[in-house]
Amino acid sequence: MKTFEEKWTAWLDGQLSGKELTEFEASLTDLAAAEAEKRDALRLGAFLKEQLAVQALNNEEFFSHQIHDRIARDGQDRSRSRGTSTWWTIPRLVWSGATALALFVITTVVLMSQHPAGEPSEYLTQILNSRVDPAANPNATIYIFESKNDNKVTVLWTEGLQTLPADYAAK
Amino acid sequence: MQLRPLLLAVFLLLAMSAASAHAAHVVWSGLVIAENVPQPTPIPPELTKLEQTLKELFGYNQFELIGQSSKTLKTGAEDWLANSKYFGLHVDARGENDAGYTLNLKLYKEKDVLLETDANLSKSSPLVIKGPQVGSGQLLLVLVVKDDEVVHRRRHAEPANPITAGWHRLQRMIHRVLP
Repeated sequence: MKTFEEKWTAWLDGQLSGKELTEFEASLTDLAAAEAEKRDALRLGAFLKEQLAVQALNNEEFFSHQIHDRIARDGQDRSRSRGTSTWWTIPRLVWSGATALALFVITTVVLMSQHPAGEPSEYLTQILNSRVDPAANPNATIYIFESKNDNKVTVLWTEGLQTLPADYAAK
Repeated sequence: MQLRPLLLAVFLLLAMSAASAHAAHVVWSGLVIAENVPQPTPIPPELTKLEQTLKELFGYNQFELIGQSSKTLKTGAEDWLANSKYFGLHVDARGENDAGYTLNLKLYKEKDVLLETDANLSKSSPLVIKGPQVGSGQLLLVLVVKDDEVVHRRRHAEPANPITAGWHRLQRMIHRVLP
């Protein structure tokens, strides 16, 4: 059995007929007010149908082309940003290499210039000073020289030291 | 982010350079009696490299060790004694320099100082001191810094490579900055 709301909706839509229509209108307390409400509802429905009708795009191909173009551009931007994420770009690598080479050359020149070609080799032993007891060895003399062979032995040569007995050679 | 491994590698290289500059050396000091004898004994192994030089310089055919000492220098400020029965060689290291070690040497005959000298002992140039005549022989004092033999021979075989010398100088500079 239909409820009042279902019968009311069907009456507004003009879908009641015959005995059912007669009984429903008889159940209404103010038929004139209901008729006025029905007219208003029909007008409102007609107005909404008119205003909310689908508007057809008259330039849909151009609109579609714009969307595709935008999608393609977004894709390119994303791949470009992915490619530049590393710090070692080619120009930076080139500049870093050139800077390192320049520093190496400068350092080498500075360090090599600290050792002029004519300066004696730093690999030789040097005697800074020497002394013997003048009371025990009044005639002692000291010479310093370097051996001529490959060993580059530095020799401190003493003369005139007091001769000692052979016993002193003991271990 | 990729800069970090590079910086780490550079730091490790510098640290290794500083560490290698810190490498300890052994100073060998010996009291030697040089003599001419009919049947000379073989020269002690510590003097093998110097045999020809010693023979040419002093004209003896036998070199006998009567006292010796090997000291590993870590700070360059150690001192030690090489003794025989009557002689003593006191070596007092007073620091490391570009060429080697600064040493103060005192030759004692029992309690008397026969000879005193200050020297910069190079890592690649031995020091030989002619001491007093002892009987028919001669007392010699020999000091050698025992270094890497391969490097040692190469330095003598060819002139010093300026780049290598510069590199060693750079190592010493780093060593001074990062002791």
